[in-house]
Amino acid sequence: MIEVEHLTKRYGGFTAVNGISFQASRGVTGFLGPNGAGKTTTMRMLTGYLPPTSGTARVAGFDIFNESIKVRQQVGYLPESVPLYRDMTALGYLMYIAEIRGVKHRRDRAMDVLERVGLAKRADSQIRTLSKGMKQRVGLASTLVHDPAVLILDEPTIGLDPIQVLELRDLVRELGQKHTVLFSTHILSEAEQVCDNLVIINGGNIVAQGAPTVLRGDLERGGRVLVRANAPVEALLPIVRQAEGVSAVEIAQDGVIATPASLSVDPRPAIAAAVVSAGISLTELRPVAVNLEEIFLELTRQAVAVAPAEAAHEESAEVTE
Amino acid sequence: MSATPIETTSAPRAVELGASAPWFAVFKRELRQYFRSPIAYGVAFALFIFLGFYFNGYLSQVNGQLPADATLIPSIITFLMFLIAPLLTMRLIAEENREGTLEVLMTMPMSESQFIIGKFLAVWAYYTILLVISLVFAVLLNTVGTPDWGAAVGAYVGGWLYGGAVLAITMIFSALSEDQIVSAFLGSATILVLYLANTAASAISTQFPAIAEIVRELGLSAHYDATMSQGILRLEDVLYFVFLIIAALFITTRIVEIRRWRS
Repeated sequence: MIEVEHLTKRYGGFTAVNGISFQASRGVTGFLGPNGAGKTTTMRMLTGYLPPTSGTARVAGFDIFNESIKVRQQVGYLPESVPLYRDMTALGYLMYIAEIRGVKHRRDRAMDVLERVGLAKRADSQIRTLSKGMKQRVGLASTLVHDPAVLILDEPTIGLDPIQVLELRDLVRELGQKHTVLFSTHILSEAEQVCDNLVIINGGNIVAQGAPTVLRGDLERGGRVLVRANAPVEALLPIVRQAEGVSAVEIAQDGVIATPASLSVDPRPAIAAAVVSAGISLTELRPVAVNLEEIFLELTRQAVAVAPAEAAHEESAEVTE
Repeated sequence: MSATPIETTSAPRAVELGASAPWFAVFKRELRQYFRSPIAYGVAFALFIFLGFYFNGYLSQVNGQLPADATLIPSIITFLMFLIAPLLTMRLIAEENREGTLEVLMTMPMSESQFIIGKFLAVWAYYTILLVISLVFAVLLNTVGTPDWGAAVGAYVGGWLYGGAVLAITMIFSALSEDQIVSAFLGSATILVLYLANTAASAISTQFPAIAEIVRELGLSAHYDATMSQGILRLEDVLYFVFLIIAALFITTRIVEIRRWRS
């Protein structure tokens, strides 16, 4: 369980994380955002590595600042660069981590987690001789040694080949059944596949959060709509264009696509009414399939449009100080 | 989900957590590392080659006419520490910083001070091993003459403390710079300055006797060459080295902490 409240990190005048709040419970929570959005900074604060400038968070019930050691006992953290001691064996490294964490029966436990990530056969290989994907799995295994309640994984699939990526995603999904996993990525399709929940962050602010399907639904409501009817496209076009809440139309295969004037208004009822009152029978009226890529671009574009004003920044700075 | 029972069979053991001594884990790993590090072997090799030739020269020089001096070897080792210590410590923290492993360690239930103490004790233990090996020369001396063993004990105990202090000081620079070469140079220069404080003090002793005395007392040689290496174990000298060790470890801990908070 992770509960983040108004967490802020400032470096001098630069605000890396701007008073974000979110919750993550058992399952995989995707922490999604472009590079430099504040994902790593947030994760470092949650692991007790970085002190927050203001705000707080509770991880597995403990305050990240005041009960840092307890938080660290409950968390397994894998930084983006997957730091490992290259001259140790996989088993040796995991036993070292287990010893630091005070895990008993270190060898057995280290072998257990190696098996868990499918690397038992390479237990005695030096880490330097392992492939990138295997190193990633050793890193993941090291976060599991003490069976933590919370796993924090910073872009664990970066730099892997497609097969390794698939394997790692499966593993993360599996881990989500037992643990609270916070998983950062900037690859949207990955987040959609792996995560039960998404937190989208950009420029240090959360721009959206919710289940991937809900987020998609939200955008579909204000998204583009395909209209098909028992009439020539040329006849349909002006009718749809004049429907309330439609800002633009274009011709698609045997139909028209309408773009709504605003994200919050669903133009479908108005379009339906307009078409029907023109005496044309409507055959199809549905949202054009939206994927997370589009949601993401839309959300981050909005944030960029707001950012230059800096109004939000100034306000929250006053509140927290 | 149906996958859950499979999971429990593949990991039947519940994880038992006991009392942990992270510093000891760090210490063991680091000490083992010295026996796999080419630099550590290089340092040991160069040191003993040098000591061997020097010892040989000394023997032929005195040729049984002077009493055998068992304080010679520890004195030379302490002098050479301005070269040895940076080579042994430069890697300690710089590498963990550079490789990012420090970030992993600092998100485990281990404080900076435990980490630093484990590191320091490892390098001090390696130095102790070198010092113990150098007792071979004392044994050899015993076959050609009758060394003053009281003085030898003083010189060796003193050399051990001296080494600890110098290693702790050079470790500061390993925390400061991610570049091992830079950290080695800075460490070496610092130790040389502390070593030569005695000489500097003598140079200004006639004009500024008070300042000269302070500079002399701050330096390393005043607490070793004049006393311990003659077999005189003074409490104030012991305290001087112990203080240096504690102060240096404290500074190193703070540097690691501050670097983490600023990252």
